[in-house]
Amino acid sequence: MKAMRARRVHQRYMLYALLAFLPARLIAAAQPANQGAPEYQIKAAFLLNFTKFVEWPPSAFSSPSAPLEICILGDDPFGPALDQMVEGEAVNDHKLVVRRIHGKPSGGCQVLFAESSESELDEVLGSLGPGVLTVGDGETSLSRGVVISFVLEHRRVRFDISQRAAAKEELKLSSKLLSVARSVPN
Amino acid sequence: MYTTVRCGAYRAAVLTMLLACIGHEKGLTAAPDAVDPATSPAALKTLTLEELSQIEVTTPSRQPEQAFRSPVAIYVITGDEIRRSGVRTIPDALRLAPGVEVAQIDANKWSVGIRGFGSRLSRSVLVMIDGRTVYTELFAGTYWEVQNVMLEDVDRIEVIRGPGGTIWGPNAVNGVINIITKNSQDTQGWLASAGGGNVEQGFLNVRYGGNAGDNLTYRLYGMAFTRGPEYHQDHDNFDDWRAVQGGFRMDWRPGARDTLTVQGDIYTEAAGERVSATSYAPPYSENVDGNADLGGGNVLARWQRKFSKGDDIQVQAYYDRTSRFEPNLAEIRNTYDVDFQNHLVEPGRQDITWGLGTRVSNGEDLPVVSGLRFLPPRRNDYLVTAFFQDQFELVKDHVWLTVGTKLLRTNFTGVEPQPSVRLLWQPTSKQSLWTGFTHAVRTPSDADREFALLGYIETLPSGIPYLARFNPNANFAPEQVNGYEAGYRRFFARNLYLDLAAFYNHYHDLFSEDITGPTYLETTPLPEHYLLPAQFRNDLLGYTKGVEISPAWRPVHFWRLQGSYSFLHMNLTKAPGTPEIGTVLGIEGSSPRHQATVSSGLNLGKSFKLDLTYRFVSGLAAMNVPAYSTGDANFSWQVSRDLSFSVVGSNLLQPRHGEFAGDPGPTVEIRRNGYLSVTWTK
Repeated sequence: MKAMRARRVHQRYMLYALLAFLPARLIAAAQPANQGAPEYQIKAAFLLNFTKFVEWPPSAFSSPSAPLEICILGDDPFGPALDQMVEGEAVNDHKLVVRRIHGKPSGGCQVLFAESSESELDEVLGSLGPGVLTVGDGETSLSRGVVISFVLEHRRVRFDISQRAAAKEELKLSSKLLSVARSVPN
Repeated sequence: MYTTVRCGAYRAAVLTMLLACIGHEKGLTAAPDAVDPATSPAALKTLTLEELSQIEVTTPSRQPEQAFRSPVAIYVITGDEIRRSGVRTIPDALRLAPGVEVAQIDANKWSVGIRGFGSRLSRSVLVMIDGRTVYTELFAGTYWEVQNVMLEDVDRIEVIRGPGGTIWGPNAVNGVINIITKNSQDTQGWLASAGGGNVEQGFLNVRYGGNAGDNLTYRLYGMAFTRGPEYHQDHDNFDDWRAVQGGFRMDWRPGARDTLTVQGDIYTEAAGERVSATSYAPPYSENVDGNADLGGGNVLARWQRKFSKGDDIQVQAYYDRTSRFEPNLAEIRNTYDVDFQNHLVEPGRQDITWGLGTRVSNGEDLPVVSGLRFLPPRRNDYLVTAFFQDQFELVKDHVWLTVGTKLLRTNFTGVEPQPSVRLLWQPTSKQSLWTGFTHAVRTPSDADREFALLGYIETLPSGIPYLARFNPNANFAPEQVNGYEAGYRRFFARNLYLDLAAFYNHYHDLFSEDITGPTYLETTPLPEHYLLPAQFRNDLLGYTKGVEISPAWRPVHFWRLQGSYSFLHMNLTKAPGTPEIGTVLGIEGSSPRHQATVSSGLNLGKSFKLDLTYRFVSGLAAMNVPAYSTGDANFSWQVSRDLSFSVVGSNLLQPRHGEFAGDPGPTVEIRRNGYLSVTWTK
């Protein structure tokens, strides 16, 4: 009985998702190819996308239904875009939420984004336990120890991946993610 | 006595004619355009990793919320709006903003005003291009014909109406026009556009943008055009125009915090004109058709460092050189300017901006005709400015108070404070109300203080000429305004937006033309002549009031409708008891009381765009220019990713119409204009 209701609820969500998805997709397709978007809206869409291609260690979540938190350390360059995208999204029963933090996070924060100018970045990176997908901004942030780093190339947003940092965080990255990355230095 | 009475009627006309013969700075956003659905967060989140990797990054002016939350009357003309309208000059692009009065005088001259006081040099409007002031100290204003920018590379034009932009620079009494070109990061690759038509005879623009490593991007550009004359009743087609211009911009980001921008331009032009040349020798006064040979160049460097929390520091320096050789006047001017600015943020509480700046401008006027002289001919003008502005968040997320002042000192004035107080209330995230008070000044220019301008009235029966002359006035004071404004903005829905602004400006010490004494016989310079002495003084005062309404509606994602209506009432008088000659009606009658525009931008499938604009401008009583309404259209076809064609028509509703009587002789009428263009990018 409970399972059936859950399935029905799930189907309803699927339908909502489809409704939301279809017009947007059509509109996107109807636009000329050179249509641009603001940098941090694209990055926000990437952040959301990353969550689908990463497998976290079970220890990263306090419970199977605990939310998946995308934390922004310090300044928030996304404005309302990230919140709008995350609204209503879930990955494997983990509801996605956005949290803005200052200083070391107290648990949660399965994804942590920080701008490279963030002075607290190094300190916070050093203090994180395993199970955090750290995402930085700019060429230099990979060397500072983040797992994924956004870079701009020919006016497009690309990303680099550090497999060593991913291993340290006990994250499994899908081959899809690795193949789209600009570079995956060893 | 006989002559005085006899010529009384001439005075006003002649003195006004005298004037006719010389021809008389920060980021905000687009009319919060309903967000483009293709790049909306909702659309982006549906894209795959690969698709996301292919989307070009745009550098938005700033978030719409920021314009929405500005306690000033601002409209941002986006680069896209400019390109879609098909206009080819900056003044024509300014027609896209509500409350701006643009009137074309001839093929290469415009009268531009904001909230009244339209004139060829836009005396009370501060104009900047990428942080460089193009307002000249010579005649107080902007020579629009030498402010050419490659429109493909314009990011946006911010137009602030009213004195609210005072802190950005001096002379922003009635408004600020801030032209901002794209970062070189956003102009990578090749772009070439070319076209031609009946008035717009031919143009060619070429730009290349490249990079050196990941942190340095640059662009180089060159542009040239030739434009034919407008319609002349007397078939004296003096106003053809040719120009060549080139330039560069480099943006270097050595680290995450620092940006260094270096840019420069160089140009040469021949702009045909008709001017009145006066001299002490016969024929005393004549209209001369000839070319203004105009040239110039500039180089600017700006360094910016960002700190966490949003603090930043900016230092900027530039050098600008202009030369003008006209049939009645010639000047070479070198300007050096250094500015420092610091922005301090205490999140949720205060936002402080302060700055210091200095400018030295030396002008050298070369004698051309004896009736137009600057005394002394070589002059050094300087100004020193300081400003401070603090924005307090009085009620979190709802009420902000901005107080600030600019202090200004020039070689012509003592320290002039220009305080401003503004309040913004945002009761909900969908609407905002603002109100403000500003005191601002227009600083005296060389033409107000050091200019000797001669006019010819008639030759008396005795054979002696009767002349009038504006003598230099070392006591010319700054023009003053107290501006009171309020505005309301509202998103009725995600795709419907309304912006309302109302103002009341009280002016005093406004520029006037005064007769300073009785006619006398003057023997130097020879030949001897009767002279009616006059001066530019500060004997006008009065007020202007008005309303601007600009709605924007996007009924469906591929169609955008926009409108604007501006109402202006000017009421000026001469200060009682002063010998002002009566210029009030001329000033009041040079700005339209009503202006309205409606524009439609339609995307037809992937590759076609149709943009239509209708505009109405009420008549200018002082110039005998009747009201007119006309329309513009641009149909463009994106053939492929790299190639597009456009067919543009402007002033379509009649073969020709007058907009402004700014040249000596009959009013030049603006012709219906059509051109074809092709744009290629790689």
